[in-house]
Formats: sequence, C-alpha cells, structure tokens
Amino acid sequence: MSRDAASHAFLGEEFLTWMWYRLDTKGGDFDVGAGRSIAVAIDDFLAFAPRDDDETEQTLRKGLPTHSQEARTALRNGRRLRKAKLIVAEGPMQFGATLDGTSMCLSGIKLPDDSEDCESQEDRNLERAAHFLHVHELIGQLYDLFLQDRLRPDYLGSSGELQAQWMAS
Amino acid sequence: MANLRRGGSASLFFIEGDLPSLQAPEFAAALERQRFRSIETAAAEEVSIGWVTCNDPSGGSFEREDIDLDRALWLQIRVDKKKLPMRWVAIYRAAAERAAGRKLSGKERKALKEDLADQLLPRVLPAVQLLDVLIDTKQHRALLFSTSKSTRDEFVSLFKKTFGSADLRPATAFEWAVRGNLALQARHYLEEVAPVQWPSPKPAPRRTAPERQPTSTKAVEAEA
Repeated sequence: MSRDAASHAFLGEEFLTWMWYRLDTKGGDFDVGAGRSIAVAIDDFLAFAPRDDDETEQTLRKGLPTHSQEARTALRNGRRLRKAKLIVAEGPMQFGATLDGTSMCLSGIKLPDDSEDCESQEDRNLERAAHFLHVHELIGQLYDLFLQDRLRPDYLGSSGELQAQWMAS
Repeated sequence: MANLRRGGSASLFFIEGDLPSLQAPEFAAALERQRFRSIETAAAEEVSIGWVTCNDPSGGSFEREDIDLDRALWLQIRVDKKKLPMRWVAIYRAAAERAAGRKLSGKERKALKEDLADQLLPRVLPAVQLLDVLIDTKQHRALLFSTSKSTRDEFVSLFKKTFGSADLRPATAFEWAVRGNLALQARHYLEEVAPVQWPSPKPAPRRTAPERQPTSTKAVEAEA
C-alpha cells in the first residue's frame, strides 16, 4: 500500500454521504455480522465539502438539517458531506459525536451515562475508557461496511448509480 | 483517583510494532526517559513536552495503578509553554518612549525586549496543557484527546522517542481501510480508487433564481 493517506481523504467524505443515503433509503440499522446491529442517526449538524478550492464550505446547524432544502440542493450539486454529527447506538449504549470525514477524527464525543454498577471512580474510569475505544470501533465497523460496497468492481453501475439518483432527486 | 473525562474530541492512531508490557520494568523506564520536565524557572522562551499520569502531573512517578484501566492504559501528555508576555513588553516600551520623548528605534526595541526577557521570564509561569491518552495494547490503538494537527504531530514524535520499537499511524480513511475486513480484490482496488464525481447540474448564470434539474444522474469516478 504505497499511496499516501491524504490522497484517500475523499473516502471519509464519501462514507458520510453514503451513510446518509443508506439511512434515508434503508433505515438506520446496520448489520455488522455475528448477530450485532449498530443503529445510526444523523443529528443536527452537517458540513458539505466544497467541490473545488473556489467553492465555499456549507454548514447547516440545528433542527433537522438533513430535511432542509439547502441540504437537498447541496446533494443535487454533487457535494459530499465533510462532517456530520452522528448518534450511534449498539444495544442500550448510545454515543454522540461529530465525524470529520477528511481526517476521520471524532469531536464532541458524548459517552453513555455511567452505569449504575460503577461503585467507585476507578470503575467509572474503566468503563469510560472502554466506551471511548468502543465508539471508535463502531465507526470502524460502519466504515468497513461502506468500503465493502464502495470497493466492489461494479459499484458505479449498481449502488453508486442508485446513490446518484437519490442525490439528484 | 482522578476522573477520566466523559466527552471530548479525539484522534485515533494505529500502533505499529510492539510496546513493552505495563508489568515490564522497560515500560516505566521508557516513560521516565521522556517524562515531563519542568520549565517553571527557565529564563528563556521554552516548550516542554513529556509524559505524566493523572495522579502525578509533575511527571515524577508512573505507578501502575494510575495507568492501568483494564482495556487501556491511561497516560497524559503535559505541554508547558513559556513565552514573554507581549502585553508587558508593550507597556515597558510605551514607558521607555514616553521617557525618551520619541519612538524607539528598531535596535533599541530589540535591546529592550532582550532586557525584559532576562527580567521577566524567570518570573513568568508557563501555560500548562494536559492531554489524555488511552493506549489499547490488545488492539494496537492509541487515542489522543486532541484533534489539533500540531498536537497530533507532537504526540507521534513523543511516542516514537519513548517506545522506539513502536510507531504511530494516524487513523485516516486510508489506514482504516488497510486494516479493514476487505476482500483481496477490494484491497488491490483501494490503491487506485478515485473520488466519485456525483451528478451535478450545469452551473447556472449568476443571480438566476430557478433551480435547474440535474442533466444526468450517472455517477462517474474521477480519473486517478
């Protein structure tokens, strides 16, 4: 694997856009195998990547930005999502975080409440550390699902085409 | 025991190579070699970066029970920065110009700044930043609680200096993909994959209100 990491930053943005398409057309449950399912929703923050250096980055906050006219227009113009605030859940555990598709960093992470079993600060620290690692694992598993679709040889003629129709709708 | 935060921003890194086990004396020895060193009394502008633990922000001790969080090791990076306070330089300069009844020349300003550095820096306390780090030794991952590029670079450099046998790779879209559960064909294609050019309407002339419909819904991949 010789190409440098920056040259593939677009994959993170395509991942976020694919996630939105997937949520909109098939719902928010993602089967990650071994009987596990991850639920995802897009919250109240979206940022669209400019198509080139001359265009502005468009940011939508508050309310339901995925339902807004501005968001639809951005999709119709072929813009990819650069950042999105996500709610990610597995079983009773719910996490919130903004994923930056370009860097794949999570900001504003919100962990689930400390469980009632935690009797000491040490217990709480153990649980929080495990949660921080877990939310990154969940994002990694979702990204893996996207790549399995995106890196198929017939992607552009199959799911890529369907996503293009959804974006243009 | 100190509290591990419940939220924040984080950057993930993949660890390449092996780390000594927490139980091994080499682990504490590696941290001690790169532990934080105080610049509280330094007489020059300086930056000091090094390891500390949540219960000893001085970098004086690395007790196993302060570090071991079962699934992860919890360390902190302490970054102290000592800078000449520019407000004070401006105040002293204004006083010198009032006394002289004229503006100071470039040479005089430089001399004044050097004098002030000698006088003030030993009295100035450095700005302190503590950054949490979680190291998952089983999954070979590290989480730095910062997304700033300069801090991430400093972390990679400190980690390399500390654990010479292990290196960090930022978890970019490419690095995630390389480590993902992909079929062989997909792995090969990853090398060549190019961004999809999603369908877009032709650019409308400026100030035209009606929105145009896309001329095509065909997705094409840009040339790599």
